[in-house]
Amino acid sequence: MNRWIILFFSLIMTGAFAHGQKTHSLGDEAHSIKDSGKTYHESISVIRKMHPEFLNHKRDKTLREGVRTEEYSLKGCVTCHATKKDNSNDYHPVNSEGQFCSTCHKKVATSVDCFSCHRTTPAQGAK
Amino acid sequence: MEKTINRRDFIKTTTATTAGVATLATGITLTTFVNANENPVTNEKRWGMLIDTNRLTETDIDGMVGACQKEHGWGSDKLSTGDQKASWIKKLKVKDTATGRISNLALMCQHCEEPPCVDVCPTNASMKREDGIVLVDKHLCIGCRYCMMACPYEARSFVHEELTDQKEHMPRGKGTVESCTMCVHKVDKGEQPACVASVNSDAVIFGDLYDSSSKINQTLKKVQSTQIRADLNLNTAVRYSGI
Repeated sequence: MNRWIILFFSLIMTGAFAHGQKTHSLGDEAHSIKDSGKTYHESISVIRKMHPEFLNHKRDKTLREGVRTEEYSLKGCVTCHATKKDNSNDYHPVNSEGQFCSTCHKKVATSVDCFSCHRTTPAQGAK
Repeated sequence: MEKTINRRDFIKTTTATTAGVATLATGITLTTFVNANENPVTNEKRWGMLIDTNRLTETDIDGMVGACQKEHGWGSDKLSTGDQKASWIKKLKVKDTATGRISNLALMCQHCEEPPCVDVCPTNASMKREDGIVLVDKHLCIGCRYCMMACPYEARSFVHEELTDQKEHMPRGKGTVESCTMCVHKVDKGEQPACVASVNSDAVIFGDLYDSSSKINQTLKKVQSTQIRADLNLNTAVRYSGI
């Protein structure tokens, strides 16, 4: 009987922890968009699967052709998905442990190369 | 009721419709021109710069270097020493050995029409935009530094150390080559490059070389100007007067 109770509680705790971590790493602005019931990405499954292609396509358009629209810009990703540090105006780097990018990328063991050059936090003064 | 249409009515309706469509089409064209950033840049423009060395003081040049560093976030790399340090724009003293006259120049990427850095790049990372701005596509750069060797102006630098806190509009990273971008992120918004904006006088003029109504085009028609190493036939977009 005790064994079953322990198993039951550990399952509940794991679920709660996973849920807490997921919402925590979503990023401040993305979180508020989600809470307001709006959607930014047309389909979560599409953006999850296709974001490398979208970003690669966009980077060539921007750098080589000067197309500077907001859609699929890496700057946009960072702005929405970065989380502020507790009691501070500074942000956690979006690729650091437990943050939006690294949560999945660590799990699937795929390194993110974007941030060896790109800024990992929204710029000062950005919303 | 049977509907008949005579020749006169037919012409009237057709003309009205055509005019309507034409108006609509003009509207669309105008809109796309306004949102220039949604469209790829074209070779109808060529961005260039004219530097008047007679009017450009040493303080101005230091200001230009400072403005560039501030805009792009280079110059504070801690571990790089000597030649390793980034240098997108530098102050150069040239002396005419015959007369002893000394001029001060601000030297940066000259944004050649025939850029040697693009010729030698093995991965196509070194590239020229349609509007003449020469850039490094760091996504493709493998850090071989052929372009640095090929550039007659020594305008390019190599990042030797890991960096953090880069500027949002200017990604920089270890193992890639970088140089003056003519502040492409500002130019695309219709603004002037940071170094040009830092000079109070008309000593540095930036604009479209092809546009006959632009200040740079008109000034180039009037004053004597030269390209540095014009003998190489690179047709640079940065030109100098007074040397």
